[in-house]
Amino acid sequence: MSARVIICCGSGGVGKTTVSAALAARFAREGLRVAVLTIDPARRLADSLGIGELTNTPRRVPLDRVVPDSTGHLDAMMLDAKSTFDEMVRRWSPDAESAERVLANRYYQAASTRLGGSHEYMAMERLLQLWKGGDYDVVVLDTPPTRHALDFLKAPDRMSGLMDQGVLRWLVMPKTRGGWRALEFGSEAVARVLKRLVGRGVIGEIAEFFDAFRGLADRMRDRSLEVRNLLRDPHTRFLLVTSPAPTARAEALYFLDVLKTEKMPFGGFVVNRTATAPVHPLLASDLPEVPPDGLSPDAWSACRGALLEAHAARSEQAAVHADAVRILREAGPRGAPCWLVPEQAEDLHDLHGLVGLGPHLPADVWSQS
Amino acid sequence: MNETDQGFPPSWPRILLVTGKGGVGKTTVAATLAVQAAARGERTILVETSGARVVPQLFGRPSEGYAPVVMSPRLSAISVTPEAALEDYVVQQIKVRRLYKLVFENRIMGPFIEAVPGLHDALQLGKVMDLERETRRGTRVWDRIIVDAPATGHGLTMMGAARAMMDLTRAGPMFEGLRQVHDVLDDPTKTGLVLVALPEEMPVNETLDLWDRLGDGRRQVRMCVLNQVHRRLCTDRDWAAASPHLQALASPAVAEAMDLVSATLSRSARQEDAHARLASGLPVPVVDLPALSHRVRSTEDLQLLGAALTEGLQ
Repeated sequence: MSARVIICCGSGGVGKTTVSAALAARFAREGLRVAVLTIDPARRLADSLGIGELTNTPRRVPLDRVVPDSTGHLDAMMLDAKSTFDEMVRRWSPDAESAERVLANRYYQAASTRLGGSHEYMAMERLLQLWKGGDYDVVVLDTPPTRHALDFLKAPDRMSGLMDQGVLRWLVMPKTRGGWRALEFGSEAVARVLKRLVGRGVIGEIAEFFDAFRGLADRMRDRSLEVRNLLRDPHTRFLLVTSPAPTARAEALYFLDVLKTEKMPFGGFVVNRTATAPVHPLLASDLPEVPPDGLSPDAWSACRGALLEAHAARSEQAAVHADAVRILREAGPRGAPCWLVPEQAEDLHDLHGLVGLGPHLPADVWSQS
Repeated sequence: MNETDQGFPPSWPRILLVTGKGGVGKTTVAATLAVQAAARGERTILVETSGARVVPQLFGRPSEGYAPVVMSPRLSAISVTPEAALEDYVVQQIKVRRLYKLVFENRIMGPFIEAVPGLHDALQLGKVMDLERETRRGTRVWDRIIVDAPATGHGLTMMGAARAMMDLTRAGPMFEGLRQVHDVLDDPTKTGLVLVALPEEMPVNETLDLWDRLGDGRRQVRMCVLNQVHRRLCTDRDWAAASPHLQALASPAVAEAMDLVSATLSRSARQEDAHARLASGLPVPVVDLPALSHRVRSTEDLQLLGAALTEGLQ
């Protein structure tokens, strides 16, 4: 049986990586076999997970140090787009020689690290491997911070479109056996435009690349169909992670629209770093004006001021955040789950902190819809 | 406006690229610099590259497009998306808009064009170069060009874009244009970099990493801005002295507020640490911008931040 997938999406800087890891830890505590795949090279996440470094291959998180009774386990890994791409080329090429041809191509070398969308594509490819691998019950994906949500969701289609045989035929036509001539076929006008735009040299490199890539193109298209299925699977859930900040919130709502349009399953909002209002009112009269013995009037008045200011600031912030949450709830589908993760006083720096976020996170994303 | 209110040094390069990770406040910093430049009489253009078009909101102006729109006296803004830049370039090159549509709005060709490494970035920068060269009646139109660059990873790509394209095009027709872009971007007298970060451990690590990877680009960095720095509420020493007396009040309200103060003090300590690490890691001024209690939303806010920036640079 394939794993259930949770995809955490949201704008940069909202704490998506932390939320993803905390969520994964929570599922592992409940006895599930869980993998968390992060995209950001977050060294601190590796530290807080108690593993030396995150790599492209899964590493076991020593969850039992914090939760001795945990029956499940948690593996963490970080996407390395270049090696995932290289690996894919080696695995799918019809033979070693054609794999080497791809790997040696200048366009491939430039493209596999710079190609817009390739990072996203490789994340999907890696996710697919984990989904189908059978080693995990749940896979949590921390997505790349992307302004354009669609870039991410459409990366597989885009890459597969790029590698499509139709394009190959259109771009390159065999001149003689073993020799390819770029763009001698197809619309003359289009060919002229392309040459003027990027030059014959680039077209040549790309033609060679496509030629070398031919053996992989079909596999790539199959994979992108599988990704389409994965993204719309009844057991897949998209969690929209946001902070209460208006820009992050707007992005979450934009993403929600994208999910609706694309018919991808929305699992709820996670509003990270929300402030809770103080329970008790604080009045200036609660604090004596006369400094206690041994304290200078300045020091006392500074601390008095600090208390009143911190209290007032928190009250105001909590009101703003409550408003933000209300806006999200109203914009989301009726009854859409919305989890609030309170702002932590300290930076999360260990597994304890990560596990401590658990109670604020969804226990069962799948029963909701 | 007096001498000390003049903003960043006018001697800084004419083009300033403001770069940093997503969500750190690049747009705010870029807009702050632009307001300063315009205030001292420079004809300034602020270039947005993300397509988000938030600048006009700050100035209460209608949304900008691919043509400069006046935001305030001497200050214009333009939104340069890759798509618009590509169309502009192609139409300039081939003079026939129909052909542009034929090629780029073509289902098959679209992805292919998007795949050419660095093409988008190179085209956006190409538009910045057009602004750089733009003249009217023999004098240049813009004294100052401030670019709100895409997020760091992307920002670096943007810097490397011209070079990546050059590697591939070698002697292609874009080569000459790209070489010119590259020459201007690489020249510390013509282009400066402003790094923006948040005063937290991770963003600071990332900024230090970025510095390491910049290589020759380091000599172009003019300053590093730490955005959203909270004012310290009191000194640790005063707080430590007052705490036992506050506890002695045995008031739940005071106890609760004490926790809040402690949290802000540890935040201040982290932010000061972030500043210190950057200041010792980077040989450029590290400037703190204050956290406002609300989102930056008006030119008054920008002036407030501008004053803090000027002060920080002194």
